[in-house]
Amino acid sequence: MSLRDRAAIVGIGQLPFSKNIGRPEEVTALEAALLALDDAGLRPSDIDGMTKWSIQPTSENVIARNLGVPNLRFFGEVGYGGGGGCGVVGHAAAAIAAGMARCVLLYRSRNRGSGGRPWAGTSRERDNIAAETNETALFSPYGFVRPVDQVAMFARRFLHERGYTTRHLGWIAAACRRHAANNPVAMMREPITVEDHERSRFISDPLRLLDCCLETDGAAAVIVAAADMARDLRQKPAYIMAASQGMGPRNWIMNNFFKDPFLESPGAYAARDLWRMAGVGPKDVHVAQLYDAFTPLVLGSLEEYGFCAPGEAGAFVEDHGLEVGGRLPTNTSGGSLSEAYVHGINLIIEAARQIRGTSVNQVAGAKLSLVTSGNMVPTGALLLRGD
Amino acid sequence: MAESEFIRRTGGEDWVPYWAAARAHELRFQRCLDCGAWRHPPGPLCPQCRSSRSEWAKASGRARLLSWVVVHPPVLPAWKDRVPYPVVLVACDEGVRTIGGILGIGAEALRMDMPLVVDFAPSPDGDLVPHWRPA
Repeated sequence: MSLRDRAAIVGIGQLPFSKNIGRPEEVTALEAALLALDDAGLRPSDIDGMTKWSIQPTSENVIARNLGVPNLRFFGEVGYGGGGGCGVVGHAAAAIAAGMARCVLLYRSRNRGSGGRPWAGTSRERDNIAAETNETALFSPYGFVRPVDQVAMFARRFLHERGYTTRHLGWIAAACRRHAANNPVAMMREPITVEDHERSRFISDPLRLLDCCLETDGAAAVIVAAADMARDLRQKPAYIMAASQGMGPRNWIMNNFFKDPFLESPGAYAARDLWRMAGVGPKDVHVAQLYDAFTPLVLGSLEEYGFCAPGEAGAFVEDHGLEVGGRLPTNTSGGSLSEAYVHGINLIIEAARQIRGTSVNQVAGAKLSLVTSGNMVPTGALLLRGD
Repeated sequence: MAESEFIRRTGGEDWVPYWAAARAHELRFQRCLDCGAWRHPPGPLCPQCRSSRSEWAKASGRARLLSWVVVHPPVLPAWKDRVPYPVVLVACDEGVRTIGGILGIGAEALRMDMPLVVDFAPSPDGDLVPHWRPA
């Protein structure tokens, strides 16, 4: 048994992204859920399951009781922050395929733009980090605690072994920004060049400001429904052709430096299972949303999901390969780097828009749409299919 | 959570012997008492043979440079006066990897795979922690 094509994304909703949304995460999650229900043409009483990111502070019972959902017969969550998003959708599809739910709501609301970061002189999220896991701050005596430091440590070795340069990272940032320029809700729309990237200040050398995603207040929701239900709803279904997760050996969150091969990410494992379930390969994909909390993650995903051989991702991005019109239009709403950073739920929504034909950077005739989650942590991937 | 607690939070109970050894100017890693495999970061079971019996054995202190970063602002208040500062990832002769500070060389002179030896220097709270310097 497989979950292939048994469920579809039928509803999407997101609030305008900002630096200060002005309302609690509980309220914005509810607002996003209402938008997704309206988009799908569903009522709260149609919802019988919920899945979420485990670091989402608003739990399912809060959402359910406020929406007036009479019963949830399936609920669950996926950990690992930005590694979790595709798994959150995948678990919804798995529950539907197993007959445990018919219509699953998932949501992510996050006040990170206004809520502050510990290294920005604010304290609120410091406690959240402590609650998430010790693993993210294994090396705090060295001042080695920020996600950007942990990615930079991986990235320097990765660039060195593959023969990539920081200019290749700049091409990724520029491609995302080019797409964001057409997206009225993207947080950063001013076009940038590779030279702008190379001039931006270091945050954690070799990574610069323009290698980093955007601290955002945002809220979004997605509804996944059984395929037979999806056909009768308001929107064109984005069928979940395949969903996978991967962790790999000896995993440590963000500080994932202790496994072998050193450069292999959990994405390599998620990729293998995704293509196996889908029965298609990277050559068949029309558009991709590759998790981009930091630019080096995209280079790794191009290799690990099989879009190019190890060492060839630099030429791929330099050749405008990520842009609409290129070999693999990627992060077509601007991604985490230029649209908003909400642990990848915006990437999932954009992947569904590409299947619907409603992206601001629509890839003509897109029928297979890939999404990946963060690959410095246990990760996942989704392949969406149109009719 | 107090600032000092954030500095010292280092992975939980499993790590206590690692930091305690450093205060005594020693680099020690966890080693399985049954199969002899080194492991780091530490944990309750040997991933090779599943034994729960382990010791904290003294390491050679020799390593090669696997990667490094140079941290720039914004940083936590305890590191504000130190930026920009390098942090290194080293591959130890025992086959384990760990993170540390670097002494006796500027970040601009670091080279991939250069040989390093362990040394000890204080973290911002004054406790000695493992650092590395050119061999």
